[in-house]
Order: sequence, then structure tokens, then C-alpha cells
Amino acid sequence: MLEFKLPDVGEGMHEGEIIQWLIKEGDAVKQDQPIVEVQTDKVNAELTAPAAGVVRKIFFSEGDIVEVGTTIFTIQEENDMPATDTGIIEEEIQVVRSDDVKVNAEHITTKPHHEAVRALATPFVRQMAREMKVDIEKVKGSGPAGRITESDLKQFKENNSITRENANQHDDKIVQEMAPMKDAIQAKGVENEWEERIPLKGIRKKIAEHMVKSVSTIPHVTHVDELEMDRLKEFKNQLKEYSDDKDIKLTFLPFFVKAIVIALKEFKTLNASIDEKTKEIILKNYYHIGIATNTKEGLIVPVIKHADQKTIFELADEIRQLAAQAREGKLSIDQITGSTFTISNVGPIGGMHATPIINYPEAAILALHKMEHRMVVRDLEGVIRLMMNMSLSFDHRLIDGVTAVHFTNRIKELLENPIRLVVEMR
Amino acid sequence: MVVGEVAVETDVIIMGGGPGGYAAAIRLGQLGKSVVLVEKDKLGGVCLNRGCIPSKALIHAADQYQRLNDLGKMGIRLSQERTTMDLGVWQEWKAGITSQLNQGIAHLCKENGVTVVKGQATFLSDDRIGVETDGDFETYKFEQAIIATGSRPFIPSFIKVDGEYILDSTSSLQLQEVPSSLSIIGGGYIGIELGMAFAKLGTKVTIIEMANRILPQVAENLVKEVTRNAKKLGMNIKTSSRVEKASVVDGQVHLHVSSEKKGTEVVVSEKTLVTIGRIPNTEEIGLNRAGVTVSEKGHIAVDIECRTNVPHIFAIGDTTPGPALAHRATKQGIVAAEVIGGVPSAVDSPYVPYVIFSDPQIAGVGLSREEAEQQGYSVKIGKFPFSANGRALATNETEGFAEVIVDANSHILLGMHMVGADASNLIGEGVLALELAARVEDIALSMHPHPTLTEGWMEAAEAVLGHAIHIVNN
Repeated sequence: MLEFKLPDVGEGMHEGEIIQWLIKEGDAVKQDQPIVEVQTDKVNAELTAPAAGVVRKIFFSEGDIVEVGTTIFTIQEENDMPATDTGIIEEEIQVVRSDDVKVNAEHITTKPHHEAVRALATPFVRQMAREMKVDIEKVKGSGPAGRITESDLKQFKENNSITRENANQHDDKIVQEMAPMKDAIQAKGVENEWEERIPLKGIRKKIAEHMVKSVSTIPHVTHVDELEMDRLKEFKNQLKEYSDDKDIKLTFLPFFVKAIVIALKEFKTLNASIDEKTKEIILKNYYHIGIATNTKEGLIVPVIKHADQKTIFELADEIRQLAAQAREGKLSIDQITGSTFTISNVGPIGGMHATPIINYPEAAILALHKMEHRMVVRDLEGVIRLMMNMSLSFDHRLIDGVTAVHFTNRIKELLENPIRLVVEMR
Repeated sequence: MVVGEVAVETDVIIMGGGPGGYAAAIRLGQLGKSVVLVEKDKLGGVCLNRGCIPSKALIHAADQYQRLNDLGKMGIRLSQERTTMDLGVWQEWKAGITSQLNQGIAHLCKENGVTVVKGQATFLSDDRIGVETDGDFETYKFEQAIIATGSRPFIPSFIKVDGEYILDSTSSLQLQEVPSSLSIIGGGYIGIELGMAFAKLGTKVTIIEMANRILPQVAENLVKEVTRNAKKLGMNIKTSSRVEKASVVDGQVHLHVSSEKKGTEVVVSEKTLVTIGRIPNTEEIGLNRAGVTVSEKGHIAVDIECRTNVPHIFAIGDTTPGPALAHRATKQGIVAAEVIGGVPSAVDSPYVPYVIFSDPQIAGVGLSREEAEQQGYSVKIGKFPFSANGRALATNETEGFAEVIVDANSHILLGMHMVGADASNLIGEGVLALELAARVEDIALSMHPHPTLTEGWMEAAEAVLGHAIHIVNN
């Protein structure tokens, strides 16, 4: 016996009125033969027999209002006998009841039921959605059979944040979606037209995550000292002609890199990192120096690999190339990873002191500040010297204050006496 | 409570060291939380000590025992001496298994920094519990708590489990001798699993089930083979029958069983096993003092993050509504731990597999044909019998079939079910396929190793597409 339940012939219909029965109890009917006419608030629908057989029972009269899902008639199927198990194969296509409905109003389309059940996505994609705070049921899948892929999620997230930024340029629907957010902001007493909200993404997001990780993992201490730069400047000037010949623009930075590498070889814990998992200190016998560089996108740290094996001129050339590539956004991953110690050269822009944040998982970072003529005391007399400050932030788990001071003292010694720097260079 | 008591502070308290509780504890340890796991009995809970593991040890032993009968047709002749089963020796073997697993869990807890406390835990407030241990009483203050106190067999009021004549699932696994006759009240999966095991060991088993068939929770077409086999094993199955009264007379249990067909009759057996369901252990843990609400049936409602109505208190496993299955508890335990640890996590999958260690085994995941149709799907079904599988024939395990249920429009798999040898292991493929939202073609086109029973899935999938190789496609 087949029970025919009133289907949802429109979207979200709850009940319908029986307008007219086209058969009576006891009639033999063919499959797809019209049986009953039903009126909903949207359409008139003619419902047809799901199978051939005899109409056994009609449960409602014309004019009755019936809830969706209620059995309205039963059919004794022609071959209504217990299903036999052939033991071999059973393949059946059973038509969804609502597909048997022929709807008079053509513009109404019925929605396949399964769409509403569950978004198709793998457990990993679902986890990703949770992490991205995306309601996966709202994402349209582009994969086979409408499966939601990782890139669907990313695109959804991106589009969503874009539409929120420019809500006023879009249609009413999006403005409606915005309304709860606006309400929430206003409820907090924020005048949202005075502020602009930009999603934290791309390089800025990476920088943010990296900084948080560094500060929350590494206990930072910053130590500041000053350097007298007159002799180094003089030394650099003496090399100018030579460097001009080689078409190399010589700055102070290669000298700093050299001095730092020499000091790092003597103070190994400054060129190290901590392996959190194994609780081991990793001392590195290679010297890859990161140079924090300002770009349009934000801070990028190109790396000079094996800085200890390069000459001043080689370093100068490489720094120039890396900086140009960084500004054009053309650095490869290899060029921005693997540093063992980082220099932040903020001097050309200005400033006296800083508390630089260590480039996780390194052990220290050195910021070099503005060079300027300052009055200093030498041999109990005030004299004018070209001075520069440097700020060293270091991982206090690994490095004691005394070590840090010895380290900067050594750099100071080398930079203030370029002859010594040259002598110590390999 | 003593005035001036000092509460031990911890991030998380877990009440119950079963498969949900200990998994949660280990995961929390991994996430760097301080965890106190309170267990009144043994780590591993019902699953390890009184449920899944011991019962599978019994079922395996019974299978081996029975298998001896079939060896003859493979040309293996046993000596004339009669095979016997020493349940006392089996008990020792079982104790070895559970103790090895207990120690394993204790070791994992220790390595992950979990403090295991033996005792009975009750909530004192929404941020404190008390633990009673050998007359001592300690209080613990927590940031978050996970309720994982599990469930116990439900025993109706007219019957009293004495552990000697009238048994629950726990005491039935502690028998030292194989009973000559056993009546089982309840034809659900525990009743059928244990009933078939004892029947194989030579016990005369009678099953009394209120529904009109055994295993009423499982789709009817999957149960047929089991019913047939139960009868072959000489089990007496009384369906549409209920036990009105139970009494012990002269060392025998007398059950008064009534049914429409036969009226009232008395079933006499050496022992009776009561397995008609389980109830959550939520009455005596002071939930009212913590403000956690409980349904009439004793279940604690939770959201997909396993949070109760008190946001910092979580509940998992058999204490929550849903099937009382160890793997569901474990999943919930891990999710609750991750949510506490700040990892976005949720129990949002409808795919909870079920496994019944009957003979043959039944296992499945996803929708049955009836459920799929009720949900409005157009359904295609593909079936492949074990009798057409080479490996099944070669191992003399030809009963059963693999069945895949597919949405006719999209060919996305809706359900995969199997009855047959090793179905419990084979269903893993089904779980993965459904979780990955696979189409039936994905299974059909994947190369399955030969000769194995896994080929059954491939052929059933091909049958849906009309081109199974080893059966005639209608």
C-alpha cells in the first residue's frame, strides 16, 4: 500500500486546500494520472499518481485544509506484494513524491530537497570554515556535485569582506545584511561613519600574527648603546672612488653586517634559536642576516645568506638588489626565509631609540638609528662627533644582559675602529 | 565541606575516565591545560572494562570454538578428543587484555600531564567539585568541567540483578562457567551479540524481544541473515513478547513471558541476562548545584561544541542524547577539549557509524534506504552479495552483502551498510567516503585490492551504475 503525502509544491508551503478530487475510492489509476487539485497560497497544483494501482482510501474532502506531510490518499499498487530479495542485485530509482506534482503556475520551480540538508564538504574543509568563522551552509560549492572546496571558502570570505566594506554601493540585500552589524556598532556608541574598517589580511595579517607570536613567546629585553661613526665615515669616503669605479653605491650597512657577523661568531647564543618542542637551544654556525625593509605592503625581511663569506662590496651589491626586489614585490620565499639574525636599519628615516621585536624564532634583533652630529665629552672636553644609537632586543631566556652588552660593545669596538674591522674580517 | 578547606585549582576537571573522558584529558594535556581526571573505578570505563573489549574477547573466543566444527570440510581433522571451553581460563586472558589497555591509558595520561584521581566526583557549585576517595574528601576548583560519567544498564523494577542467576551485561562477562541455558531479555545489539556468543559455546539461548523482530534499530533487510543464523545456532527467538515477572525457583530462573500469539508462558533457564537499554549516570553527581539541566530521561542537552546550558561545563558521551557508542564519546571528548583549548572544533557530522558483532556482523553509516526516502531523496541502491566474492568463498564466509545507497540525482553517497564477515572493519571505507562527500563513482573507480572483502563495496557501487562485473546486472 502506497501512502500519498501532501508534498511541498511551493517553497516553504505548510498547508494546502483540497480543491477537487479527480478520482474516487476504488478507481484504477495509471502512473502520473492526475488525482487531485490542491490550492496553496502561491499556486494551484495538480497532483498525480506516483504509481499505477487502485485508489483505496481518500482521507480528506474537497474544501479541507491539509498540512504538508499528511497522507491524503492511498494506492494499492498493481504489483503490491512483499519485496523479494533476489540475493543478487537490487537497483531502484524511486521518484521523489514532489516530482510527481505538475504545477499549473509555470514560474514556480520546486527545489530539490537534498539541497537543504547539508553542505557537501570534507571534514578538513569544514574545520577550515570553522577557523575562518564562515557558515559553510552559505557557501556555494564549485566542486563536483556542488562540493565546497578550500578555494570556495577563501573566495566566500574575501567577497564577504569586500561587500561589507562597500555596502553602500551594492543592492538593498547587502545593505540589509549590513544592518545588524551597523546596529551592533552603534549600540556600542561608536560613530561608525567616522571610522573605516579594513579586513586584516595579506602581508599585514602575516606581520600581525608573526609579531604576536614573537612577543608572546619570547621574553624581550632591549639594550641601547651609542656609537661614534666619524672614523667609519672617513673610511667609507676613502673607499668611494674605488666603489664608484665598480659602480657600487656604498652605504654603511655592509660594514654593520660585517661587524655584526664577527660579533655573532664570538657570542654564539645571539645567532641561535630555541626549539620549543624539544626544548633545545640551536646554535647556528651559519650567518644569514635579515635586513628589515620597508615596502608598500609592509615590512619585509630579505636575507643575505652566508654574510660572513662575502666582501663589503659583495654585500653592498646584494643589499641593493634585495631592497629593489623587495620594493617591487619580487622576492622569492627563499630570499625572505632562513635568517639567523636581523638588522632593522631605521636610521635613514629618523629616531633615537626603539624596542625592536625579534624576528621569531631568532634570538635577537639590532635596530640602527639616525646618525647625527651630537655634542659628546671626550677627555673632559665637549666635542662634536657623528653619533648613532643602536637598540638590541634579545631573548632573555637565552641571553643574559651581560652577554648582550658584551655583544654590542664588540660591535661598537669594530665600527668605531674600522681598521680593526678590516683586520678581523675573514 | 570543612571551613577553611583548600581547593586544588586546575584548568579543567573531567568526571569519568571512559573513552570520552580519557580522550578529552589527553587532548587537553596536548593543548597545555592542567587537567584532573576523576574516575571512580578503572580507566577506560565501561567500554574497556565491561563492554566493548571484554565482549569482543568473548565473541572472538566463541567464534574460534565454533569454527572448529567447520574445519572438517577444509580437510582438517581434529583429534577425537572433545573440544571444551574453560571460561575460567578465558577470564584470565580477558583480564590480561583489559589490564594492558588500562596501563596504556594511564601511561598516556601521565605523559600528557593529566592528573588521574580515583574517586567519586560530585559538583559542589558551578566551579567546584568534591572527590570522595577511601573516606577522604578533596575539593577541586576548575575553570571548565567535562561531564563524562557514562551510562549503566537499565534494569526494570520487576527484576533484580543478583549477578548469579540474573545478570546484566557486566556480570554476564564475568561468568566462570558456560551456562547450560540462558534467557536474554532484549533482542537489541548487546543481547544478540552475547546471545550468539553463548549459543556458539553450547548454551541454549532464548531471546525475548518486545518488538516484532530482533535488532529493531537496524534496517530490516540487514537483519535477515542474522535471524537465520541465530536459528541455525539453535537460539529460540520470541518476538512481540514481553516479560511480566521474573523469579528464581530451585536454582532456575522462571520468566513469565506474554505475547498475543501464545498468551503467557514460562521460560525456564539457568541464568537470565537483562539488556534492554542503558541509562545515563547523571543523577548522583550534583548537577543541580552546578546549574546543569537534565532531561526526563537523564540526558544532558549539549550544542555542537558539547557545551551544556552552563557555558563552561561540557558534557559528552552517553550522558548526552544520541546513541551510546564509545566512538561518539571519544569524538565529543576531543571536540570539548579543543573548544576549551581555544581550537575551533565541533561535532557537526551526521555520520556516526554503527557496528554490531552479531554473526554475521552488521555495520553501517549514513542513511538507510527508508530514511533517505523519508528525507525526500530519489534513491538508487546497489547491492553485492558476499557469495559472489572470491575471498569470502575461500574463507567460508559467504553470508551477507554490501549495500550502497545513493542520491539518484547527484550520485552522492547517502549511506553504506554491510552485513557479513568483518563488516566492522570494512565500514571504515564507508565512513571516509561519506565524510568526503564521495559520489558512487568514486568508490567504483577506486582500485580495490584483490582478493579481499573490500571488493564488495566496489561491486555494489558498480551495481548502482549498472556495470558490476561479478554479478548479473538487471
